[in-house]
Amino acid sequence: MRFFKKTNIDFLSIRRRWYMVSGAVILAGMISLSVKGIDYGIDFRGGTEVLFSFSRKLEVAEIRGALTTVGLGNSEIKSYGTEGNMLVRTTEQAEGNVVGDKIRLAIQQSFPDVRFEVLKEYRIWPKIGAELRRDALYAIIASLVAILLYIAIRFQFSYGVGAVLALFHDVLVTLGIISILDGLIPVNLEITQEVIAAFLTLVGVSVNDTVVVFDRIRENIKIYRSLSLAEVMNRSLNDTLSRTIITNGSILLVLVILLLFGGDSTRGFAFALTIGQITGTYSSIYIASAVVLDSSLRKKKPAQA
Amino acid sequence: MRNQLSRLVLIACAVILAVYSLWPTYQDYRYRKALESLTGQDSIAYFEQNEGDIATAKEKRVKLGLDLQGGMRVVLEVDLLQLIDDLAKNEDDNFRRMIGEVRNEAMRADIPIIPVFAKKFQDGGIRLSRFYRNIRDDDATIISWLESEAEKAVDRAIEIVRNRVDQYRVSEPNIQKQGARRIIVELPGVKDENEVRQLLQGTAKLEFRMMKDPDISFRVLESIDKFLTGRTTDTLAAREKKAEKPEEKPKDALTELLGGTQQPAPTDTSQETKVLREHPFLSYLRFDQRSGEAFVRDKDRDRIIRLLTRADIQNTLPPDFEYLWSAKTLTFADGYKYYTLFPLKKAPELTGGVIIDARASVNPEDNRPVVNMEMNSEGAREWSRVTGANIGKRVAIVLDNGVFSAPTIIGKIPGGHSQITGIDSPNEARLLEIVLRAGALPAPVAIIEQRSVGPSLGEDSVRSGLSASLIAFAFTVLFMVLYYSKAGIVADIALLFNMLFLLGVMAGFKATLTLPGIAGIVLTIGMAVDANVLINERIREELITGKTLRAAVDAGYVKAFSAIFDSNITTFLTGLILYQFGTGPVQGFALTLMIGIVASMFSAIIITRVTFNLMMDRGLQPSFG
Repeated sequence: MRFFKKTNIDFLSIRRRWYMVSGAVILAGMISLSVKGIDYGIDFRGGTEVLFSFSRKLEVAEIRGALTTVGLGNSEIKSYGTEGNMLVRTTEQAEGNVVGDKIRLAIQQSFPDVRFEVLKEYRIWPKIGAELRRDALYAIIASLVAILLYIAIRFQFSYGVGAVLALFHDVLVTLGIISILDGLIPVNLEITQEVIAAFLTLVGVSVNDTVVVFDRIRENIKIYRSLSLAEVMNRSLNDTLSRTIITNGSILLVLVILLLFGGDSTRGFAFALTIGQITGTYSSIYIASAVVLDSSLRKKKPAQA
Repeated sequence: MRNQLSRLVLIACAVILAVYSLWPTYQDYRYRKALESLTGQDSIAYFEQNEGDIATAKEKRVKLGLDLQGGMRVVLEVDLLQLIDDLAKNEDDNFRRMIGEVRNEAMRADIPIIPVFAKKFQDGGIRLSRFYRNIRDDDATIISWLESEAEKAVDRAIEIVRNRVDQYRVSEPNIQKQGARRIIVELPGVKDENEVRQLLQGTAKLEFRMMKDPDISFRVLESIDKFLTGRTTDTLAAREKKAEKPEEKPKDALTELLGGTQQPAPTDTSQETKVLREHPFLSYLRFDQRSGEAFVRDKDRDRIIRLLTRADIQNTLPPDFEYLWSAKTLTFADGYKYYTLFPLKKAPELTGGVIIDARASVNPEDNRPVVNMEMNSEGAREWSRVTGANIGKRVAIVLDNGVFSAPTIIGKIPGGHSQITGIDSPNEARLLEIVLRAGALPAPVAIIEQRSVGPSLGEDSVRSGLSASLIAFAFTVLFMVLYYSKAGIVADIALLFNMLFLLGVMAGFKATLTLPGIAGIVLTIGMAVDANVLINERIREELITGKTLRAAVDAGYVKAFSAIFDSNITTFLTGLILYQFGTGPVQGFALTLMIGIVASMFSAIIITRVTFNLMMDRGLQPSFG
């Protein structure tokens, strides 16, 4: 079976259009980030978080009423996951387990008829959040630098720049989309340690795709010496199209499976990876390769690999 | 052809190693199922028979993270401010005010405590040596001394925590140092957070207790034995008690030992049961007549604890007599681990507050490890009295009710400077130094992170993780076959090997499987096929140009290699950075990702090549769809 015979699509001639689309999407994401922000999980803000499973459904308002009796009325309360579990989260800090105990006590006293189970309980100092933010930033920057260097060495500097810009684009778009969709879909899109890991992973997976395209370009430049860079790149993109669709398709497939079947705890993580995977495929063509092309055109020299 | 053979050998070795690493996990699963299906007496007999194997399997199996097992994870950090406070002498109001100010600042931002603290003093024109060490020491010396004290405090805290957690009998606890000042404590299956928090905080209690004579010890052990069999309750304490209340028949000792669930049939006359019946206590101990110590197999420790803590047995013990356990185990010639039971005086001769310093060192005369101990004047006086009155006897060094050492008193020690000898290894000396200082100096820790996951959430996570993995695997396998037909089957075989190697390496590294780790496995399934796709697409292209099958396959592998290599290295680099960045579950994910990448490269390049070659040699034409 094959999906494609030899194709000859001119990808790069319409790249300016796609630059604008990317720009627009990133802009929308940034606006959403500044207006709506994103849901920082307890990892970042510190505080206490308790996940309850109730024998009968309790409304947010009811729970809030119960919490007010112990002075925790302005906690965040929301449903978590797909089974009606409720999450209570507050940034209140106190010695020991006081906050967690208070929450449990309040629920117990206010709803004596309801049996509940504490599925998980987390308590974090705010100091950790600051560290996590710092470490996450370092990790992302370190990844981008490492990749820039490796690709610059194995290919050429402009390729490194193209690849890193593509990755940057992927991270921004994913972040923006998470912000936009937060609250609109029944997936927990709070930013936790795992979600940061998902961002780093999508950097790793997206670059994988970009490098395969670059490898083919590198090979084809040697073969098709008479063609312009744009033509060689298009040729390379077409040559690898089959592989691109299949591999990215199969990765997308397993990510969607993870999203649907992996349980509530990994849903945010899987979602970030899924979005990242989609933009990653796109960015290998319309950011990475396009940037390399444009930078070489500006230098008015053929970019030999 | 030679290439082919060496490839086959390589694959065979890899497979054998992987299966070998994973075997304990499979065994552990089998044993658990077997134990669940048997009941009571059978189950205990089965356990005893296969005990060694069950223990090894448990030790070597792939461990589940807390997010899959349920349990508690706590991160402790040395409370630097408290430490600085405790280490200071001659504190005045000024000092206390400065500490308070730094504490307030520390609450609001993540400041480096020691430098900020020092700067406050410098700004106030006060020398640190007023409150620390010698008057001659300059600020820089004191600052670096404070920093090193902070690091040593972590080691003390770790030892204290380890000691206490061990006494709490958590199965497979994990205690690790993180960075310079933090400790990660993972306690699977633990649910009572309040108890655990008590476990991890609070000052350590150091005591020096005299050991009772061996013959007294033996008599006590015997009397417990006899009490349990109801033969005689003729101990001193019991005679007195008899006068007070009517005699109760002691519970059947075997029932007690077996956890109160099963009685052996009255007609059961097996030799072991007979010995057990006659000596329900002694048969679990190995008694050293010279020293008075008793040794108990680690598997039997819980039973003996249960017996010793029974009220009626406590009553048989003479006053001022207590049995305490060693903190660490000894491995005997039979290969098993034993705990030592020490017969001690209940009242301590000295407590930890009198120790000023302790240092592990080497005796210049015989090059053996020693620990030098220094006490304050009050302690020195007491110590002189105690040592003078107990020459030849042994004194136990006890931390939080765990005995770390029981050296013999050779002579009277007047000046408070003692040297502990008879230490087997430098490590033991180091441990003793930590223990002695732990009782004397504080190692204040604060809990900065606490996560507890209930077992039901853990079970759910395992289930979802497993189903996601299987579904992903099934879909991928199906897709490969549909798209690449026979070559797709080859890719699927490679995928299978890939999973085997991935899990085998994880088992080999004793890595812990977490939920993100399972996600990493799922992702690896998706990414693993990439190499196969690259190779197969290349082979297809080569076939179109008219090459023969063999030539096309050769060319395909050669040309695809650079793409596979470069793309996987970059992803691997990201995984490496992720491993550095993350903690716990995230590290688990990074690890599975990295191992998965390496395993998939191996499978895709070597295993599929071998398979194709084998197929072509036998005239089976692999088709590439």
